Amino acid sequence: MRIRTRLSLWYAAVMLASLSLMGALSYYQFVRQRSGEPGQQESLSGRGDQGRLPQRDERPDAARKSEPRAERPVGGGRRHGLFAEVMTILGRVGIPAMVMAVAGGWWLMRRSLAPVEALTRAVERTHERNLRQQLPRSGNGDELDRLTEVFNAMTARLDQSFQEIREFTLHASHELKTPLTVMQGEIETACREESLTDVQRDRLLSQLDEVQRLAKIVDGLSLLTKADAGQVSLARDPVQLDELLREAFEDMQHLGQSENLAVTLTACEPVVVHGDRHRLRQLLLNLADNAVKYNEPHGRATLSLRRVGPEAELVFTNTGPGLPRDQQSRVFERFFRGDASHSSAVEGSGLGLSIVEWIARAHGGSVLFESGAGTLTTVTVRLPVV
Amino acid sequence: MCVEAHSTGREPGGRERFTDPPIGRAMRILVVEDDTKTASFIKKALRAEGFAVDVCHDGHDALHLAETTPYDALVLDIMLPGRDGLSILRHLRDRRNGVPVLLLSARGEVNERVDGLNAGADDYLPKPFALAELIARVRAMGRRANEPRTTVLQVADLTLDTVTRVARRGETTIELTAREYRLLEFLMRSPGRVCGRMSILEKVWDYDFDPGTNLVDVYVRRLREKIDSGSRTRLIHTVRGVGYVLKPMP
Repeated sequence: MRIRTRLSLWYAAVMLASLSLMGALSYYQFVRQRSGEPGQQESLSGRGDQGRLPQRDERPDAARKSEPRAERPVGGGRRHGLFAEVMTILGRVGIPAMVMAVAGGWWLMRRSLAPVEALTRAVERTHERNLRQQLPRSGNGDELDRLTEVFNAMTARLDQSFQEIREFTLHASHELKTPLTVMQGEIETACREESLTDVQRDRLLSQLDEVQRLAKIVDGLSLLTKADAGQVSLARDPVQLDELLREAFEDMQHLGQSENLAVTLTACEPVVVHGDRHRLRQLLLNLADNAVKYNEPHGRATLSLRRVGPEAELVFTNTGPGLPRDQQSRVFERFFRGDASHSSAVEGSGLGLSIVEWIARAHGGSVLFESGAGTLTTVTVRLPVV
Repeated sequence: MCVEAHSTGREPGGRERFTDPPIGRAMRILVVEDDTKTASFIKKALRAEGFAVDVCHDGHDALHLAETTPYDALVLDIMLPGRDGLSILRHLRDRRNGVPVLLLSARGEVNERVDGLNAGADDYLPKPFALAELIARVRAMGRRANEPRTTVLQVADLTLDTVTRVARRGETTIELTAREYRLLEFLMRSPGRVCGRMSILEKVWDYDFDPGTNLVDVYVRRLREKIDSGSRTRLIHTVRGVGYVLKPMP
């Protein structure tokens, strides 16, 4: 039950109780006034109304003794009339008052809880990338204002921590580049020694391959970290997406040749999006490369581009082992490489789809990954068309 | 392998003829790099290629040297103590100093590349780079200004007409896709020299990122099938870990 409803109900109950008490007291007051007339008091107290018992002692003995017994039936009729009269007054005045009070209470409750709703919505919108946005404070120093302040302080601390992690990764990937440059340069220099035997040269070249692989990982990581920190600016030029897709199609045919893949372009509608040409090509090439790498010999791969309402819809499908459903939500995670069989068979940095997701999002779009054992793996990218 | 590719490159082409200094004088290069180890292997490699090399580790000294000495090219790191590479470059260009500059950077970001080229750099190479790639680019910078742009390129019995875009090996015409043509033209413009994967991706694909695929290798393999099948002399050769070279070799 919502706080607003609960409080309103409590309020109504308290209101009802106080009104009843007020009614009962007024009733008693009336009765006492009338008890000044002879023959009233005894019978009234004789009714044994527990609430009024202690007041019996206050009554003067003289008055009690002088009560004439004959009056009693008349007194009983009057009492009923009086009770009804009080009830009528209560009904005419009390019930509307109750309704007004409950409605007013409801409204007040709603008003005072509105900041809580606003706070809830704001907290719902908070994620790791907008921690710097502080929630607006009412500034009136009440409990909710204090809560907002505390919440803001918490997000500021979180933002600080995220910032530190990002900076750490950024510095780490940057610092790694100098030793990598030195290693690569020195291995290459060593390769030039004419006195090297073939075995020695092979060993050095294998080291060179690994250094270059490491360099690629560091590159991808530093790109994503910079993107996280909002340090990568993208161009916003009109880009003919279908042209880029045709290029990617040609590249994909070449890439798939050694595995005898059948690559088909099922649709290529002319679409212009506003964005960064280089990044969009990177997105297409990463997806094309994945569709080839995670395929099977003599498998199939398709790519298509359609305009669907206000969006460009790019769909890449490929045959192959697919990915279990429980792992699909993780494909955009950095360094996620699927199960062991995947990782060992396919070379790559494990950052390709993370980069794809970043590029799609940076263009205001989205990526969807669907796969399953024995079914096609489908990656759908939607980009807004301006 | 690397050695061969470079040493043979100097002889038949006589590339030095096209560089600024007169025949007999080596190209003089200033390497500005604060990391001593990096500076050291760059110096060693460029010297092995026949360049005269000066090394400088500080930004202020570098600017002074560049302004007072007539270098044929500068290899300039962006992050430097004293004064950063971009500021040195801007300063030189403001003073109408047109010395060819190759920028190096560990940050290797697109924006930085664009900034560098806008500031007047002739080329940009992100770290870590292949040494052969660096050498090829330094050579290209020295060459760029004076080399005549011929319309028909020839290596052994392979010719490429850059106007009609027709490739021939001996008497046989070779069908090429647009990208294969660009790749072949790029390789043929610097015969005998190693073309690094990065340069190929940049010039042929216009990619300014490493796509992490074996795209270049796949295209070169295909091109090699078209060019070298049926000929006794093979022209396209792999330089492992670095890239490709086009030269006649049985």
